[in-house]
Amino acid sequence: MVHALEEIHRLTRPAGTLIEIHPAALEFPFVEVRSNGESFFSEDDPGFDYAEDSRLAEAAVATVVGRGIFVLEESRRFELRTYASSLQELRDHWAVADAYDPDEKEETLARRQEEMYARAHEVLGRSPGAELVFVEPATMSRLTLAG
Amino acid sequence: MSVRIDPEGNETDALFDLLEVEGREVLEIGCGDGRLTRRYADRAAHVTAIDPFADAIARANTWLSEAPNERIEFRHVAFADLAAASEADVFDVALLSWSLC
Repeated sequence: MVHALEEIHRLTRPAGTLIEIHPAALEFPFVEVRSNGESFFSEDDPGFDYAEDSRLAEAAVATVVGRGIFVLEESRRFELRTYASSLQELRDHWAVADAYDPDEKEETLARRQEEMYARAHEVLGRSPGAELVFVEPATMSRLTLAG
Repeated sequence: MSVRIDPEGNETDALFDLLEVEGREVLEIGCGDGRLTRRYADRAAHVTAIDPFADAIARANTWLSEAPNERIEFRHVAFADLAAASEADVFDVALLSWSLC
């Protein structure tokens, strides 16, 4: 990761900018069932634990900032929301969008995730017009080149 | 009905709050199917958007063929390979799109 950031520094012109987006540390993605701004269901998704990924990303950024390669200027937290009308629609979307990720989930996590989605599906089924919403808290940072 | 990703534009709003992309040469690393690329590219001078996953770039190029935009170039290449073949000081902005981790 640090080497990639060093390469980005080389490819970027002086006074250039790096925008870095990664899952927010210490926050789980979560699932909601929503309709007209009202939430009928909200639970963390145990199948998506980004804590270690986030820690590594933030450590890499801290390293290049500490070395004086980049200057961290500003960060924003935001939520990336994916809306689906059904659980199957969301799964079909992930089957395509996440096909690059070959990691099999650990059995216990996979079962907990299935149980959580079964609860969400049940609530969705008795909430006409509601949608399933997958929410990913994220951090976006602006860094500038130094040196 | 199909899946809608960030219809509120939270990600794009954060990007435009942090970055003046107007007229700048952008390298987007980990562009996937170009979901974010197509939301900001009209403001940039040019976007080179790369991803090592061939299927994602194929979807991005399918979209690009349906909505041509000369500012965008999607490339199926890993960042390490692109960097090894690139001169220094080529881009104004590098955008690491959910790809550092």
